[in-house]
Amino acid sequence: MSSRLASRRNVMAAALIAPLFLLVALSFLAPLATTLYRAIEDSDFSLALPKTSRSLQQWDGVALPPEEAFRSFVEELRQAQQDQAAGAILNRLNFEETGLRTLLLQATRASGRLAEPYRDSMIALNPRWGDPALWRLFKRATGPFTSLFLLRSLDLKPTDQGVAKAAAQDAVFLPLFWRTFEISLVVTILCALLAYPVAYTLSILPQGWANVGMMLVLIPFWTSILVRTTAWFIILQREGPINALLMAMTLVDQPLTMIFTRFAVYIAMVHVLLPFAILPLYSVMKGLKPDYMRAAASLGAPGWKRFLRIYLPLTMPGVAAGSLMVFMLSVGFYITPALVGGPGDQMVSSFIAFFTNVSVNWGMAAALATLLMAMTGVLVVVARLVVPGFRSGGVKA
Amino acid sequence: MSDAIIRFEGVTKSYDGVTQVVKALDFSVLRGEFVTLLGPSGSGKTTTLMMLAGFEDPSSGAIMFDGRLLNHVPAHQRGIGVVFQNYALFPHMTVGANLAFPLEMQGVARAEREARVRAALDMVKLGALADRRPSQLSGGQQQRVALARALVFRPKLVLMDEPLGALDKQLREHMQLEIKHIHETLGVTVVYVTHDQGEALTMSDRIAVFHNGRIQQLASPGEIYERPANAFVASFIGENNRLDGTIESMADGVARVRLADGSIVAATPGPGVGSGARVTLALRPEKVRIGPDAGGENRFEARIEELIYYGDHTRLRLALGGGEDFTARLTFKDALARPERGDVIPVSWRGVDCLALAPEEA
Amino acid sequence: MAAPAAPRPRRSLIEASLYAVTALILFFLVAPIFVVFPLSLSSGELLVLPTPGYSLRWYEEFFTSNRWLLATWNSFVVGLATMIVATLLGTLAAFGLYLGQFRGKALIIAILSLPMVTPIIVTAIAMYFALSLVGLGSTLTGLIIAHTVLSVPFVLLTVLASLQTFDPNLLRAAASLGASPPVAFRRVVLPLIAPGVATGALFAFATSFDELVVALFIASPGQFTLPRQMFAGVREFLSPTIAAAAVLLIVFSALLLAINEMIRKRAQARGISSGPTP
Repeated sequence: MSSRLASRRNVMAAALIAPLFLLVALSFLAPLATTLYRAIEDSDFSLALPKTSRSLQQWDGVALPPEEAFRSFVEELRQAQQDQAAGAILNRLNFEETGLRTLLLQATRASGRLAEPYRDSMIALNPRWGDPALWRLFKRATGPFTSLFLLRSLDLKPTDQGVAKAAAQDAVFLPLFWRTFEISLVVTILCALLAYPVAYTLSILPQGWANVGMMLVLIPFWTSILVRTTAWFIILQREGPINALLMAMTLVDQPLTMIFTRFAVYIAMVHVLLPFAILPLYSVMKGLKPDYMRAAASLGAPGWKRFLRIYLPLTMPGVAAGSLMVFMLSVGFYITPALVGGPGDQMVSSFIAFFTNVSVNWGMAAALATLLMAMTGVLVVVARLVVPGFRSGGVKA
Repeated sequence: MSDAIIRFEGVTKSYDGVTQVVKALDFSVLRGEFVTLLGPSGSGKTTTLMMLAGFEDPSSGAIMFDGRLLNHVPAHQRGIGVVFQNYALFPHMTVGANLAFPLEMQGVARAEREARVRAALDMVKLGALADRRPSQLSGGQQQRVALARALVFRPKLVLMDEPLGALDKQLREHMQLEIKHIHETLGVTVVYVTHDQGEALTMSDRIAVFHNGRIQQLASPGEIYERPANAFVASFIGENNRLDGTIESMADGVARVRLADGSIVAATPGPGVGSGARVTLALRPEKVRIGPDAGGENRFEARIEELIYYGDHTRLRLALGGGEDFTARLTFKDALARPERGDVIPVSWRGVDCLALAPEEA
Repeated sequence: MAAPAAPRPRRSLIEASLYAVTALILFFLVAPIFVVFPLSLSSGELLVLPTPGYSLRWYEEFFTSNRWLLATWNSFVVGLATMIVATLLGTLAAFGLYLGQFRGKALIIAILSLPMVTPIIVTAIAMYFALSLVGLGSTLTGLIIAHTVLSVPFVLLTVLASLQTFDPNLLRAAASLGASPPVAFRRVVLPLIAPGVATGALFAFATSFDELVVALFIASPGQFTLPRQMFAGVREFLSPTIAAAAVLLIVFSALLLAINEMIRKRAQARGISSGPTP
């Protein structure tokens, strides 16, 4: 830069931006990166069984591993049993193939009694130890990287020959992503359809009434999502006001089951997200000069044609911006399905939470998070390309 | 030149490192002088002002102010008042607070601050409006506040960047005089930027005409008007007829110029033109005489192409010397009665009124 | 009053149905929020309507329960700390972005607003892993850091929007009148972008105050915030105390909204932009 003044300005600018940038880099970008890294990182086996790992890495993978590998394995199993450190590796291997926990537990318990040659005594303990395929699975687990978690998230699994479909009982994730997509899409369409007339009416009402209407949109917008979801939880329950009303009017003689259904998820999510669709649409409609419609009228277009040919296309950017926001937020929804949905209505977020807190399979949580991020990322990129002037703003999920 | 308050020495400015917005600028402004930088947009006049104010820095060269190098002094340490085109009054402060701001920055005590703010407001005749906000004032009043704010901290130099551009014609002319009077009263040095030649002629001690990043001429208004240094200045200041030709001979300070249609015109050579040079003849419409006995050594017959009524005069567009854009003014004093389109009339002008100038660089 | 134009029944029918549909949708938006009001005043043990009678016992319960009071305290501590840090850093960065004349500004803004478009659950587990790693899991500090990252984009974007209407000549004027850059920022820039800063600050507070997902992962019972405590309540034992808490949260949100509208109105009256709604 030739100008000293300009570079002085930029130094000042950089100094002002730096604190925030550091905060975001250290406490958001870095954690995010490590989380994504966890999706491919695989160190449980090599940490718990370092010597075994080393010999397995040198093994050609064709016949059974050498006796040395068996010896290290048994010795390190004994050590792990003493240290009670076998948990992580049991989880890791059992996740890759159900049943390995039992096999390994048996070997760990027996490790004290096993005598040389270890290969024979192990096969004597359980003939599966004589299967080279099992050892190849172990060899794959020695890390440092694995495709297991990402593949599993797509209902695939790594095998000796490459990639295969995961076992039927494990193939839950593609349907999960599909369900997440489906719920988000339905919610988005519903929000767009409901937002359009509301935004339009608010944009043509006299200022006083429009302000009142706007307040009715903004109050829920500022109210906590949890509060609103809780309200629906109360309203939709078996003893809730809707059932009470229906019973009182003798429209039904048994309370309807509304809570813990897909219906409940839809209605609560639409309620939470509708303001995000109304606000951008309203500002587009408010900013639209009436001249266009007047011009169309002067050119002889009847009302419905004016709407279809002029008004709708001109307000489409608002629909698109709002819908995008709604869809992006829907995809990551967690609390609302968790509270008012049934087991079949949970979305990707619930599984990420499950793998993080309950089954403590952080690799899997990270892999699902990575895919969810990718899904959102693709969406944002598409949005920036397709929607003119799209700015992501006003998110608070 | 010992009393120069500003001196530009070989100053150039380029934003992209390729195109020079200001090229090798060398000029001085004397203490107490009112100098106007005049030129079309993009001529470099505003950039020059911005460098003086410290909002831009020169790519090379030196700007001296009151004997010290100004190049890298930050704007807030220069002590130069600036009046902005859109006034740039602080909208969240009252008029009084706007004026007190520079005094606060200088650490002037409250009592003196108040006295000086009051005096400055009285000077621009806004004494009663100290508690208003800028948005509650008219454009003209805002302009006065901006003026008072730029003067209240007693800078040695005040820069004005098209300060009257946003005002209507009448107010503008009134403010021109007022600014001129304030300048005369305070004796402060003023550098004034405008693209309005009338404004420049009315107000300035000297005018610097900018074009293509260079000063084409720096001289008093009279000299700029009467003796433009080149064809650009001649055409930019006031109205001018332009005829292209070549100097055939020079004698006794009179050049004989052959025009495109072969006719010969006697003209006064401008600076730096000699025999054989291609020149542009510059002749003001008001110097063209109409009628058979009007006098003037250059006599032509011209056909009237168009008559345009202006009230106090009628403008004639004439075919003359191979072109069709020759303009003359017909006033009530001219003998010619009721000319009509298509008439062929005698016109003439004196050689001393017609300048043979170096043509504009392409 | 006689209508000057000929009556147009079809058009007015369309308009009437439009108003009716809008009214219904607005009712759908607002009604659920108000359902909790009568429930919170129930004298019964169950969250059912109609209530057997009215009492303030559940509010009493709320204000005498150590758990709810701790959660309220935590929410305010975290919310205020988040607001202060996010507003400070966000405003400075926005001004830096306004001042800077370099390429890649859009990219920096995109990076800084990334927390806003990242699915909240992803942010939550990333924070959970990272904060436990540095020993800030289950601490209010950890929660404040996480909430600051989540809410700082709102401050940044609202302040940037305010700065868009800020006349750069005012900075030049301030400099010509002798104000150094920091003084010019404090005396000229800050007062003029104050509505945007205030809106951003309010939104930062609201974001933290309402935030649940990150709190689910990071907070142990000692750091439970109001939403976290409510969530525990909904999941475990659904007593009308929840409704009372919800009402308090709604009233508080409405208060924040009202403050925001006030800021916007005042800014409009003064002809200063407060940035975009909300």
